[in-house]
Amino acid sequence: MSEDIEIETQKLNLWYGDKQALKNIYMRIPEEKVTAIIGPSGCGKSTLIRCFNRMNDIIEICRIKGKILIDGKDIYDKKMDVVELRKNVGMVFQKPNPFPKNIYENIAYAPRIHGIKKKKKLDKIVEKCLKQAFLWDEVKDRLDESARSLSGGQQQRLCIARALAVEPEILLMDEPCSALDPIATAKIEELIRYLSKEYTVVIVTHNMQQAARVSDYTAYMYLGEVIEFGKTRQIFENPSEENTENYITGRFG
Amino acid sequence: MRSKFDEQLKKIKDDVVELGELAQRMLKESIVALENRDVKLAAKIYTDKKKLMKMDDDIEHRCLQAISMYQPMAKDMRVIGASLKLITYLTRIGRYGKDIAKFVKELADKEHIVKLVSIPHMGNIVDGMISDALDAYKGKKPVDIQSFVDRDDDVDALRVSIFREALTYMMQDSKNIERCMYYVMIARYLERCADHACKISEKVNYMVTGKRVEIK
Repeated sequence: MSEDIEIETQKLNLWYGDKQALKNIYMRIPEEKVTAIIGPSGCGKSTLIRCFNRMNDIIEICRIKGKILIDGKDIYDKKMDVVELRKNVGMVFQKPNPFPKNIYENIAYAPRIHGIKKKKKLDKIVEKCLKQAFLWDEVKDRLDESARSLSGGQQQRLCIARALAVEPEILLMDEPCSALDPIATAKIEELIRYLSKEYTVVIVTHNMQQAARVSDYTAYMYLGEVIEFGKTRQIFENPSEENTENYITGRFG
Repeated sequence: MRSKFDEQLKKIKDDVVELGELAQRMLKESIVALENRDVKLAAKIYTDKKKLMKMDDDIEHRCLQAISMYQPMAKDMRVIGASLKLITYLTRIGRYGKDIAKFVKELADKEHIVKLVSIPHMGNIVDGMISDALDAYKGKKPVDIQSFVDRDDDVDALRVSIFREALTYMMQDSKNIERCMYYVMIARYLERCADHACKISEKVNYMVTGKRVEIK
């Protein structure tokens, strides 16, 4: 892989109580590319991406060993500012979860917390983020309406716009389309491809065709291990591992 | 879901082999019809063409249906991709058989200028190439690429030699021109069939191994 590496895991192991959920994960996720993580339910995909912005910290029984480097810095180092980390590593979830506020406030909320007070500057950020999320044209005349009035697909794009408002470098997406219809899914997929010009995107998906459509690299996980990692085309056309082949051809999972 | 897909995939593969064997038979019989100036056999090849075209359309339709219904991946995808290509190449081979059969009608009224040796020999080589490619497809085994390269070279050399030989007869007597032109065209068709057999072997190889090889 010749690209610059944005996220690197070294001998990453994770336990929920006695149960080991991640086993010796070595992974190098390239910068400004889309990396998909696939695998059967319970294989550790979501657990792994939740490590990248320390979302697992809030789970009491969760224990982690090993290293995760983002831009060369160990994010589990004691000196790491978790708020700063999560500003740099945005996340979008399976179900759209906009704040119970209007559309404008959903985007302006985080920049305001990070100290931006001027209305003009906030206006600019809101417009820029909504444009980046392909939502501006649909909502520009009703920014003061509740975010809940939007359709599911629009809400999901609003959540992506909200994540972009603090200018992260990395976007984590945990099955961002699983609750959406095919048209809304197509828009999100187009958006993911567009965002990869500026952002590093890591997407967890159960939909293999989606992984094949949107990603540059694919990791296949099974029972907490990364079985195969490589260029998406190679993984879906000619996987090296039989386990990968069996999964992607629907022989199990 | 998976077993239904397996069933459809198996049916597609069986039908590709059946189409291949029909195309191969059409080509083989066209050479026999040519050697014996057998107009009846040539007419039979004409009727086979309709069946061939129908099978081509039908398999293509079922491959596309399988793609849209099951979105196959990895080896399954390569089998469907290869099958779609194979039916095109094989149909072309069958159609060349039909084209040669068409010339038989033109050549049947008189004896051949000389006893045909090179054309049947060329036909045998091509027939062997088609058999090997189809066997590899059936058995999901990689093909011996070098043997295809060697036979393709032999076929090319035979085409040149047939052309030169025909040229001599044409220069000897202008009445030979029409008949010799047919021989030259038949040699050209057989050479194209060998090229198609090479392409089939490339696709089968990719289907089996996931790696691309090119016969130049």
